[in-house]
Amino acid sequence: MDSLFVFRGMLQDLYAKNSKVIDKAVQFVLALVTFYLINQNVGFMKMAANPVVTLALAVICTFFPMIMTAIMATLLILAHMYAVSLGALVVTAAVFLVMYIFYFRLTSKMALVVLLTPIAFVLKIPYVIPVVFGLIAGPAALVAISCGTIVYYMMEYVKKAAAGMKGKDAVGLMGQVSAYLKQVFQSKEMWIFIMACVIGFLVVYTLRRQSINHAWKIAVIAGVVTNIVVVTAGDISFGVAASYASMILAGGASVIIGLILEFFFFSVDYTRSEKMQFEDDEYYYYVKAIPKLSVSTPEKTVKRINKRQEPENATEVRRRNRSSEGASGKKTVNKARVKKSQLKRGPAAKKHDMKEIDKMLLTQSLKKDLNLK
Amino acid sequence: MLDERKVKLMTKLALYEQTQGKKDFKVSEYYRKDYAGMHIIFSILWVTVGYMLLVIMAAFAGLEALMESLSLALLITLGAGIVIGYLIVVIVYAVITGWLYNARHKDARQRVKKYNHNLTILLKMYEKEKK
Repeated sequence: MDSLFVFRGMLQDLYAKNSKVIDKAVQFVLALVTFYLINQNVGFMKMAANPVVTLALAVICTFFPMIMTAIMATLLILAHMYAVSLGALVVTAAVFLVMYIFYFRLTSKMALVVLLTPIAFVLKIPYVIPVVFGLIAGPAALVAISCGTIVYYMMEYVKKAAAGMKGKDAVGLMGQVSAYLKQVFQSKEMWIFIMACVIGFLVVYTLRRQSINHAWKIAVIAGVVTNIVVVTAGDISFGVAASYASMILAGGASVIIGLILEFFFFSVDYTRSEKMQFEDDEYYYYVKAIPKLSVSTPEKTVKRINKRQEPENATEVRRRNRSSEGASGKKTVNKARVKKSQLKRGPAAKKHDMKEIDKMLLTQSLKKDLNLK
Repeated sequence: MLDERKVKLMTKLALYEQTQGKKDFKVSEYYRKDYAGMHIIFSILWVTVGYMLLVIMAAFAGLEALMESLSLALLITLGAGIVIGYLIVVIVYAVITGWLYNARHKDARQRVKKYNHNLTILLKMYEKEKK
């Protein structure tokens, strides 16, 4: 177990040193996966679905804030919808606009959740979303999760019904719009999943904030079980066909991801927890203090055992030889080399080290003052 | 000669100016009530557009069912429901927007105050140097 904590410490150190590069790499991968999945599922516009275009878009999005990836994904979906039919484009654009007006205008950061939710659905692990965001986010994420679920089911409908949405006359267009909206918003499966996500999220969020021992583990397991139960109950009562094997596999994956999150964000030692009780004039206080688990990463010290060591006499002899060469007026002596050899000796080297240490201390104090990791 | 304290302070100020400061300076140009009020008005306009879109989409989705059982009483009930729904949504959004932008203005003002304080300290350092 200790080695795991050491590994975590190493990862944290690595992230602290290269946070900018790692953040951008994650952003690039997320953008690439998002665009790839969009193109795989609803890639009706051949030009936009080209792998080179996908890669180029992902690279462009990497240089901008995360919200740009969400905007680009929306535009890509709309381009594919336009390739299907005008009706599909109008409805999809209207749904995105409503989401923006009612929610993302106020908290644009949550757009990331809308990207991640359909990705989780495509990867067949939808229960991960309520578990993960129940652990690390607040109830505001619920709306974003629901929006993400709606986006996924919209794409699913278009994927299946694209062939039948080709009519271009006004009556055909009205029919398309009506059928699209009806199929998406009257989809029992979608509402069952939204309900399961909402209940699962609330269970995880409520339990992980309790002062009970192993709160995060209990929250993760309870959240996954609740999700599975709600989906199963919904499927049975509404007569929706569902694969229970994939449901259980997805549940297992969610538990594993939840436990990994706990390991990184909430590792405490319950065996050393303490309960205290005290009072003042107005209140009685019941306090439970649980120490955080931390193992310091061992520092590597490199000891050179095969370093060439010259006896003091040899150095002295060489120096004398050099000085005698200089005295005899030989002009072939390389001044730079002499300087270098002087630098290697005591006082000059120390001066150099002190500068380095000064620089390091200044950087450290700046980081501390600016709260930079 | 480099003054460590001055370098630290200038870095702090530059970092703020180039990141959060850009937004905060714009926000702190307004009085809190004006800032929140302006956003409440924008919010009401946006919500009106969003609500209209929702109603249109719902109408399209339930068009067939509506046509089958069309009557004056149903139309009046639907109309009343739409208006009441709109009022509720607008009020809820106005309250949420007001609370959100009040808090944002308060936070931005605090950060700008801190920035001004640091700026004054830096100015004093320069004055001290000149003497």
